[in-house]
Amino acid sequence: GAAFGLYFPRKEYLENVYIDEPAGTPLLRIHTLRDSHGEVAHFHLCQNLIISRARSHENNWFQIREKTGLLYLSKSLDREDFNMLSVGNWMPLSKVMLYVFLSSHPFQEKECDSATRTTVFLSLMNATAPACSSLTARQLCFTEMDLSFHIKENKPPGTFHQLQLPSIHHLCQNLSVSYKLLAAEGMPFRYNENTTGVSVTLRLDREERERYELIAKCTVREGFREMQVEVPFLVNVLDEDDSPPFLPNGTDTADAVVEFNRKEGTVLATLTVYDADTTPIYPLESSRKKYTGTIITDDPWMSETFRVEHIFDEIHFSPNGSQVRGTRHEYKLVLNKSISVTEHRSFQLDVLVNDTEFHGPERSVMLHFNVSILPVSIQFPNTTYQFTVNRNAERFAQIGKICIENCMKFRGVNITYKLLSPNTSCYAVSILQGREDKYGSLYVNDSSVLHRPECKEIQYTIQATDKQSRKHTKTLLTVVLEGTLLKKEEDCPDSCAVSKHHAECEECGGLGVLTGRCQWRQGSGKGITTNYSTCTPSIKTCPDGICDVIESKDPAVCPQDCTSGNIIGGHGKGIGNLGIKSGHGICYCFPRQNCYCEKDDIKEPLCDDVCKTVI
Amino acid sequence: LAAPPSPPGQDPHGWRVPVDCVRANELCAAEPSCSSRYRTLRQCLAGRDRNTMLANKECQAALEVLQESPLYDCRCKRGMKKELQCLQIYWSIHLGLTEGEEFYEASPYEPVTSRLSDIFRLASIFSGMDPAANSKSNHCLDAAKACNLNDNCKRLRSGYISTCSREISASEHCSRRKCHKALRQFFDRVPSEYTYRLLFCSCKDQACAERRRQTIVPSCSYEDKEKPNCLDLRSTCRTDHLCRSRLADFHTNCQASFQTLTSCPGDNYQACLGSYAGLIGFDMTPNYVDASTTSITISPWCSCKGSGNMEEECEKFLRDFTENPCLRNAIQAFGNGTDVNLSP
Repeated sequence: GAAFGLYFPRKEYLENVYIDEPAGTPLLRIHTLRDSHGEVAHFHLCQNLIISRARSHENNWFQIREKTGLLYLSKSLDREDFNMLSVGNWMPLSKVMLYVFLSSHPFQEKECDSATRTTVFLSLMNATAPACSSLTARQLCFTEMDLSFHIKENKPPGTFHQLQLPSIHHLCQNLSVSYKLLAAEGMPFRYNENTTGVSVTLRLDREERERYELIAKCTVREGFREMQVEVPFLVNVLDEDDSPPFLPNGTDTADAVVEFNRKEGTVLATLTVYDADTTPIYPLESSRKKYTGTIITDDPWMSETFRVEHIFDEIHFSPNGSQVRGTRHEYKLVLNKSISVTEHRSFQLDVLVNDTEFHGPERSVMLHFNVSILPVSIQFPNTTYQFTVNRNAERFAQIGKICIENCMKFRGVNITYKLLSPNTSCYAVSILQGREDKYGSLYVNDSSVLHRPECKEIQYTIQATDKQSRKHTKTLLTVVLEGTLLKKEEDCPDSCAVSKHHAECEECGGLGVLTGRCQWRQGSGKGITTNYSTCTPSIKTCPDGICDVIESKDPAVCPQDCTSGNIIGGHGKGIGNLGIKSGHGICYCFPRQNCYCEKDDIKEPLCDDVCKTVI
Repeated sequence: LAAPPSPPGQDPHGWRVPVDCVRANELCAAEPSCSSRYRTLRQCLAGRDRNTMLANKECQAALEVLQESPLYDCRCKRGMKKELQCLQIYWSIHLGLTEGEEFYEASPYEPVTSRLSDIFRLASIFSGMDPAANSKSNHCLDAAKACNLNDNCKRLRSGYISTCSREISASEHCSRRKCHKALRQFFDRVPSEYTYRLLFCSCKDQACAERRRQTIVPSCSYEDKEKPNCLDLRSTCRTDHLCRSRLADFHTNCQASFQTLTSCPGDNYQACLGSYAGLIGFDMTPNYVDASTTSITISPWCSCKGSGNMEEECEKFLRDFTENPCLRNAIQAFGNGTDVNLSP
């Protein structure tokens, strides 16, 4: 329909209705404000009373003057009516609700669906109208509803409220009730003593000031008695899109470099646009549509490879001491897909930001991103790899990490590491890589090979391949076997984690050990701590809070990081419910079964100095 | 077989007692004209746009006929069997009657008639085990002890605490969905003499107030990376029948009133505390914002930043939690063990 600018300065009105008040009793006045001069308001009631927001009833009692907005009783509400309207109301206090509609032309059909409407709540009082003398000054002066109004900015001035309550004025004609508007000096509001109307005298500008706080003061005189009541009178200024976007410090250009981080979703650069208008974050999508950011390009590659993400939040401006809300829009240039390591180019990418609801020539700004896509090389550091492995190392012992240049900086580059077969039969080690890992982990795969005297120095070729470009590189890996074979202890468990004491831990080996012996980690011993005491194949890797790809190969290697079973005793579980993040005292585990964390009461060493001398 | 429905009667206060919606639905299904109209209305509402629905003559006629049926006045009970089904039936009628965008919606739940004093009577049983009811005792700790001495309370409390503290991955530090579900089970299935003591215990020092704040494991059930706008959160809540109902119940029972001594509707503290507890485990989960002992401030996890022209409405919504004299009085009255004295 045709947009018209008449609107209600408040969303809800409230008044009391008593039993057997006579027809013609005025109840309340409703005001409107205009969009343009010359508009005339027509009021109209919806012919349904809504009771307790669910049940409705035909309205036989209330009417509104089409021109003045005065709501009045057209028919007395008797006890029978009251009882009927109270049915379905749960609370002792009955409220009915009706909608008042607004139009700039006389109502033709009594339609009930105009968008511009306000809600009137009528409290049905289970009593006849009270004597004026029984009413408090507060009740004589104001209704229970806050005096809070909203006025649109940039609209013509007009009267938006009447302080006098028509029902009280009608009921208590021999009482003198007068009003004043305090703190109004210098503010664009005026109180008219004759009509008790409050009007706004100027077009308001929300970007100047968005909230006015005044005080309505009421004086009731009854003979020589005088009573006064003061209540807050608040005016909020509603915003419309009347400010263009602007650039803070004039910055409209940013550099966007793509190098090691080439993954889809990477934010390359951000530029900021300010606007003095507010932008509601609810509903979010409609605000995004009102403030657009579009990449200006004909190149399909560019529109496929990049996207612009728009986020915004509320900030404050202080135009003249008072704070008003405004908006910061951020436009982020984002990779829309992962970019190949071979890609190499530079160009400028322009993004047009458009404040679509602002009606003026400066409604858009152009942002520029200087994009450089640099290629990255897939190569190993110059040196060849050399690792030494103790002959007593056991299966799943972690020997070292293989990593191409800058591998830890890479994102969105998928490198796989592979060992090419050596020329001997000494297959001692293998390489493994976690799903998201940027490096390969070298570990002992067959410990029996380490025992064979003919295997001394094994040469491998490692190949690293980029999955997307199939680019690959190779380097040499030398594994030197050292140390002499120790005699294996009898009765040792295959997992270090089983050992509960310092001594038994270091006497035995277990899966994952580097030198044939487990290592003891002595914790701090204070409460439940991440630094608990435990026996591990290698303090460097276990427990470190991460169940890595090699540890997850066998539950006996490092249950402290990988267990998903029960943990008995004081403890905290690790990420994803795996492992023991923190424990009380000593934590030990039986792989595939339970773990235990407990304080050890038997003090080590079992044998003190006196004991040793005796032996 | 369903028991024969009792006719809507009068309760001692003179208000009409409605039937529950599941039963009303059975009554309607037994009557061909009612059931066919109800089916029509549900089809009308499936489109979700009220204005188009009202424009349709057939839909309007269905609505008018249903106004005379037991479905019209039906209500649900908190924690009843088939609560969700009951609420679905309730909203299938009421979404057609209201705008669906009103500030306050009427509660689909039956009014709470019990009083706080009923809980105190039971609570005094526990107080026997308190070492000393002196000023130094930590009421929140006593509440936890009392819960641990009851098998049901202990089981469901440790259930939600372990669910809400379980780390999922480095980026997701718990499953909010499971945590909320466990919290709902706790507050639905454990009697309120236990749950209210944990939730509304009175505190004289910060350690106690911090324990009270931690009751619902707020790091998982309450806090989030970002604070959404409260109106946005409200609209999310209203898309879910249960959350919508609990919020409407909170508004009905905790809305500050000028007409009563306590600021609570009908001076009914129990009803307000019950509907507050009913919000826990939903998008609108409220909690204490800090561990202050002097002032109690409650809020859902949202703010009014970015409200645009709806800032006033947003702040009004938020104030019903943060600056609500009814809610504050009810919590304090519970903590002090005082209820409004009622003449029988």
